[in-house]
Amino acid sequence: MRHRQSGPGQSGSSRAGAGARAALLIAWLLVLAGLGWMVSQRLKISTDLRSFMPAPTTPDQRLLMEQVGDGPGSRLLLLAISGVRPMGPPPLAGDVPSDAPLAALSQGLAGALRKDPSYTQVLNGSFDLGALDPSLLPYRYLLSPTLDTQPLDETYLADQLQQRVDDLSSPAASLLKGLLPRDPTLEVLKLAERWTPAKSPELRDGVWFSPQHEALLLVQTRAAGFDPDAQQRAIDGIQHAFHALPGSAGTQLEFSGPGYFSVVVGAQTRHQADWIGRISSVGFIVLMLLAYRSLSSLLLSALPIASAALAGIAALTVAFPEVHGITLAFGFTLLGVAQEYPIRVLSHRRAGEDAVQSVRALWPLLLTAIASACIAYLAFYASGVNGLKQLAVFTIVGLLVAGFSTRYLLSHLLPVQVRDVAQMPWLMKARAFVDRLPRPRWIPIVVTLLIVLMLALAPGPFWQNNLAALTPLPQDMLLHDARLREALGAPDVRYLLVLQAPTEQGVLALSEKLQPKVDALVAQHAVDALELPSLYLPSVALQRARQKKLPDRGTLQRALGQALQGLPFRPDLFQPFLDDVETARSLTPLTPERYAQTPLGQRLAAMLVQRDGHWLGLGTVSGVHDVAALQALGSGASVRLLDLKAASESLVAAYRTRILQALLIASVLLVLTITLALRSLRRAWHVLAPMTLATFLVLAVERIVGIEISLFHLVALILAGGLGLHYALFFERDTGDAAEQRRTLHATIVCVLSALLVFGMLGWATIPVLRAIGLTVSLGVAFHFCLSILMAPHADLGPSDPLAEDSHARED
Amino acid sequence: MTLPLWAKASAPEATPAASSSAQALISALGQPAPARTAFAEARFMQVLDRPLVVSGELAWLGGDQLQRRVDQPNQETATIADGEVTQQRAGKAPRHFSLKRAPQLQVLLDSFVALLSGDAGRLQQAFQIRYTGVASGSWKLVLTPRDAAVAKSVASITIDGDGKQSRCMHMQEADGDLAIDLLGPLSAKMPAQPTREALQALCQGVR
Repeated sequence: MRHRQSGPGQSGSSRAGAGARAALLIAWLLVLAGLGWMVSQRLKISTDLRSFMPAPTTPDQRLLMEQVGDGPGSRLLLLAISGVRPMGPPPLAGDVPSDAPLAALSQGLAGALRKDPSYTQVLNGSFDLGALDPSLLPYRYLLSPTLDTQPLDETYLADQLQQRVDDLSSPAASLLKGLLPRDPTLEVLKLAERWTPAKSPELRDGVWFSPQHEALLLVQTRAAGFDPDAQQRAIDGIQHAFHALPGSAGTQLEFSGPGYFSVVVGAQTRHQADWIGRISSVGFIVLMLLAYRSLSSLLLSALPIASAALAGIAALTVAFPEVHGITLAFGFTLLGVAQEYPIRVLSHRRAGEDAVQSVRALWPLLLTAIASACIAYLAFYASGVNGLKQLAVFTIVGLLVAGFSTRYLLSHLLPVQVRDVAQMPWLMKARAFVDRLPRPRWIPIVVTLLIVLMLALAPGPFWQNNLAALTPLPQDMLLHDARLREALGAPDVRYLLVLQAPTEQGVLALSEKLQPKVDALVAQHAVDALELPSLYLPSVALQRARQKKLPDRGTLQRALGQALQGLPFRPDLFQPFLDDVETARSLTPLTPERYAQTPLGQRLAAMLVQRDGHWLGLGTVSGVHDVAALQALGSGASVRLLDLKAASESLVAAYRTRILQALLIASVLLVLTITLALRSLRRAWHVLAPMTLATFLVLAVERIVGIEISLFHLVALILAGGLGLHYALFFERDTGDAAEQRRTLHATIVCVLSALLVFGMLGWATIPVLRAIGLTVSLGVAFHFCLSILMAPHADLGPSDPLAEDSHARED
Repeated sequence: MTLPLWAKASAPEATPAASSSAQALISALGQPAPARTAFAEARFMQVLDRPLVVSGELAWLGGDQLQRRVDQPNQETATIADGEVTQQRAGKAPRHFSLKRAPQLQVLLDSFVALLSGDAGRLQQAFQIRYTGVASGSWKLVLTPRDAAVAKSVASITIDGDGKQSRCMHMQEADGDLAIDLLGPLSAKMPAQPTREALQALCQGVR
């Protein structure tokens, strides 16, 4: 029978076939291997979220794009070392746990990290004189504010020296003894105090401790905060340094901060997506085996998808220097449409008919489906967002490859002997049931009314603008962060005070001018601390002014001589002091470039940004209590408070606008394509109306249960739309052949079940991004399926007995 | 010290005693907190061309808490608690720093608290102890810090005592600076212009 049915062209290929098929399979696999090799050689995945964002338009958005990753706040890691209890009996009556081992670990870790250029600042509470480069020590007179109010005259020196005498007879003597000859006025200590965070934790054994007996550290990474890979490396580096310390065994090092969160969220999402993926893969395989009872069909039908993915990535590596991780994640999701192509082919096989033949019959419709999906995705390319362009390239190349490889490669490989699904009794019943369903004309109207009603009554805001809400952190992690942040007085990641001036020096001068107002705000408790760039480096003008106030050697020597009268100091002791002041008088003022070579200069460099011919200074804010008071500092171009959250939300909104515009264009293109392909407005209506209604129905249902719509929901809606388009296209097709209609139903049911399996599983995920995609696609698939059945034109079968049709088909 | 009724004169022997007799002495010295003693201190420092003299009261408040109050020439109170030193001067904001940065204080704390609590074990943990007793009833403990970081700054501590009283404490710093504290009633005998020799003589003490 098979041979009889095979057309003259196919009989040769199916016969001589075995060898040719093996050759084709091997060639295909070789090409795939080649693509795989190319991808592995060329693929560079970027994890920087910013490349997936639209080009920022407002100055605040642009600053956000930089600050989101590079801002001083987002690069801060908060560290807590805990866990050592003293061994043996408590030392004395008081059995206070000893903090000394933890303090030693804190010092050891800080020491190790300070040597590592991956970390621009390491603070643990111990003042490190090394923070000021020894060659920069004479600069202390230009950096310290002392000279602004206090000349280095006899009265001042006498007072200072008397205090030093008191110091020497006090327990602090050993701290100051070495400093004394060079720095009798202790400018170095004044600078150290200035550079210590305003609200610093309790000091025990010389380092910061939390009330919970954890040693605390603040580490600023060089790596951007939103680059999870780089943050992972920075965190690994810290952990490595920590575990290399003697005594670190039995202690715990805990992290917090934006960079750490990006790592954790990434890992959690990947972990959950992985296990869900594994379960649904198994389910998918079982489903395919049940549906087609053929292992070789299953294995072979995986080839078009694999080809699509590899070709898509390969195209990306050719077209773009770096591929974004999100592109791949979204792309693989959208590529889910392509799994339909082999399923359609498998379901539409007739008993004994060559696969090539079944594909040929199916091809015009399949091509329409592929073309319309591609055209829809093409709209992403026009969005202008780099990440979306990548997405477009990936999905379009993928869909084309999947479609054409199904048509021209897979069809030649599929086993010749198959079961015709049209003969399965349950399918006949199902088809009969579907055919009996009433298809009233009022369905679209009712559904439309329902959608409008639900959208109108839906609670809460329509859009979810807060990207962070989709990747929420575990509550205990947030609490831990809040506790550490509070203890450390670490800057808020939400607000930044932005100073703008034409030059770097202009920014520093502006910052100096602002300092008194900021001090007033801190005094009023509007904010716990606000660190301005001029804290670390005064402007050149101010340094010059301080320089001018330094006395010449003769004057200083006389004043010092007078001040030393009656004090027990050795007369020649302060020679280094005289030398330093003399040196400071002729120093070239420190500029940020020169300063940048020191650890503190790195801190400053993070606060000064050059852009578009002007400079920005970034003041970090801790503990905001009164936003209005902060905003009152300035709202003009030169000084303003940047709310990173508001800026990011406006950016997300802009991003969404781009996607929606792309969708609008895609819809128009889709209507045109379908209408042209079907050459009938009426038929196009039967395809497009259920798809459109189902899409809006998903939106309405999600809204009525209180879900706020995010970008991920939109992407999922697009995927569901693509699947729905297929259902509608195939249901609309009127072959006038009952068996073929049954095959269509079979194919669609397998497609729907597999989509429900994969995305329904995702809907159970606890991570909202995954849940958003899973829920939306599952709902979408269900609605699309139902509506495309209910709104399909009645199969024009007449009252004829389906079984009779069938026997006819069998015999033909 | 006025405080120590340094119990039973078990120690005095003409020969350098074994560490066990030092231990016996030390454990016999324990007494309940708080314990106070007057002190007068002379510091001989390289940065100074004459010694600095201050006087006041030292107090062990129990646990690891020690207070050093200076009355002359300027009021100042330094308190050690929880590994941190708080320094308070009349009319000034208190200054805090870590005990780690003031090894002299760490040594003072270790020796003082151990002696006052009679905790020979603790003393032994922090110091190598050399003990000498003489027939007249006076004795000398020389403590050398075991911690290398501390030893870098404090070379040794010598405590001179007499029967049940300790009279003097010498803190020899590694850089050559020296602090001599006269304790208890002896503190009243601090000369206006002390010299090392004069103080040494006072400590060796003719009663």
